[in-house]
Amino acid sequence: MGGEFEQQVVAMLRGILPDAEHVEIHEFGPIPGGFSRETYRFDATIHIEGTRERHPLILRMDPPESVAILDTSRAIEHDLIEAIRLNTEIPVTESLGHEMDRSVFGEAAMIIRRSHGNSSTTDLFHDGPDTHQVDDVVRHLCESLVELHQADISTLDPDGRLHDPRGVGIDASSWDRYMDTTFEYYLDNYPKINREPMLCILLDSFLTLRRNKPRPLPLSLVHGDFNPANFLYADGRVAALIDWENARVGDPREDLGWMMMMDDLSNTKIMSHPADEGGFLAYYNKLTGYEITEQELGYFILFGTANIAVPINDAIKRRVDGKNRELLHLYLVQSSASALPGMAQLLQYPGVPA
Amino acid sequence: MISSPTIDQILEGVLIAIDDEIMPSLAANPKAQATAQMMQSLIQGVRQMLPVVDEQLVDEHNGMIRTLADTAAALGDVSGDAADRLRERAATLGQWDPLPDLPDRDAITAAHLELGRAIEASFLDLDELQRAGVASADDALDVVRAHLGSRYMRDAETIVVGDGFVGRG
Repeated sequence: MGGEFEQQVVAMLRGILPDAEHVEIHEFGPIPGGFSRETYRFDATIHIEGTRERHPLILRMDPPESVAILDTSRAIEHDLIEAIRLNTEIPVTESLGHEMDRSVFGEAAMIIRRSHGNSSTTDLFHDGPDTHQVDDVVRHLCESLVELHQADISTLDPDGRLHDPRGVGIDASSWDRYMDTTFEYYLDNYPKINREPMLCILLDSFLTLRRNKPRPLPLSLVHGDFNPANFLYADGRVAALIDWENARVGDPREDLGWMMMMDDLSNTKIMSHPADEGGFLAYYNKLTGYEITEQELGYFILFGTANIAVPINDAIKRRVDGKNRELLHLYLVQSSASALPGMAQLLQYPGVPA
Repeated sequence: MISSPTIDQILEGVLIAIDDEIMPSLAANPKAQATAQMMQSLIQGVRQMLPVVDEQLVDEHNGMIRTLADTAAALGDVSGDAADRLRERAATLGQWDPLPDLPDRDAITAAHLELGRAIEASFLDLDELQRAGVASADDALDVVRAHLGSRYMRDAETIVVGDGFVGRG
């Protein structure tokens, strides 16, 4: 990434901060990891009215359209982060602005503030250095999730753009319509993503989900990728909930189910805390009165897996069909193969051990 | 087994990624560049070997049996320890039954695909029956799931490497 690119970042910051007399970029470099966005960290020194402040920042950029996995909008993500930051106590980092004109960076981008705190949340578990903080951090994490799920949707999403942010035909006007149109989205897309018969476990899961709808709960704003890697913590508190690109209106059990699955895959123990409240789900139920069961979460693990399986397998199909040269999309075949026995287990396939 | 992408497509993808993503970063390091080129050459060699390795194995296996028998026959009545050892090989290994020709790979692949699509279509029909309240459709679904369950576990054991997603920060 050359100096010209960094100059574009400077120009974007000057557009966001029109009072800035001078902007300097330091230590610009990529952050490895993350399947869906290209992310860079840097510091910016901003000179305004004789003062000089150094700001730790992140540039989140869309990948090229042909290789993108999740089709989400940086403008919507920016607006949501700012709505949450300004209207709730949920800890998020400030989003400074977005650039949707692809001629600037090549793809849409946004600049957000880097949060303080530890992003290695595994330090909270097992013999990690921060096990003494785990109950307090997870308690705050649960309270933040409850606040998100109980927030007024129209306050955080005044234009209704999070009712169907991927533009796939979801109707979130009621819980039933949300669920039914989501099943339609899954089933309608199956032929499009279907590159080989062994994907039929997805078809089975879509049909099983449709046959076994659980009781309704009030729709809420959901994070959409609520997992042990998507928060930072410091001093017994969550410093920031991050990565809001998949946020949408949905069923609050989606976030809980996803966390339950990722907690298991990540070998963390979020769901076991706060211990004095009987764990994450018990505390969540205490705060909301929803009385959600683990069986319901099993349903929403499948529901959430389906939600991510559609775009991932769409990307793999595009690669297999020769639409791009991206190795990642081939690698996804290998890295996602381990998820299929897990799905088979949730669907209670005979002979698949628990 | 996962048949799409094919093994050849995966290997081709690695070759492309070495070209697109790695080579440009190696311009200042000739040794690393040569290593990357050797990697590409080896992978291309594997691509060329894979379609013929089973067929050649059978062909060579049968050819060696014939050769051992024919060698002793060509020797005639020569006496001595060396000749006896050659005749001994011809009388034992040279009498092995030849392996049958391998079935046509394209035909197997096509049949596998057709059967797979039939299993897949069963889910749609069983769903229709379950929604109509046919209780035995639950048992029938379990039959299909039992068949597939062991295959998903085997696939995961076969192709998954390590635990987790490389590069996921």
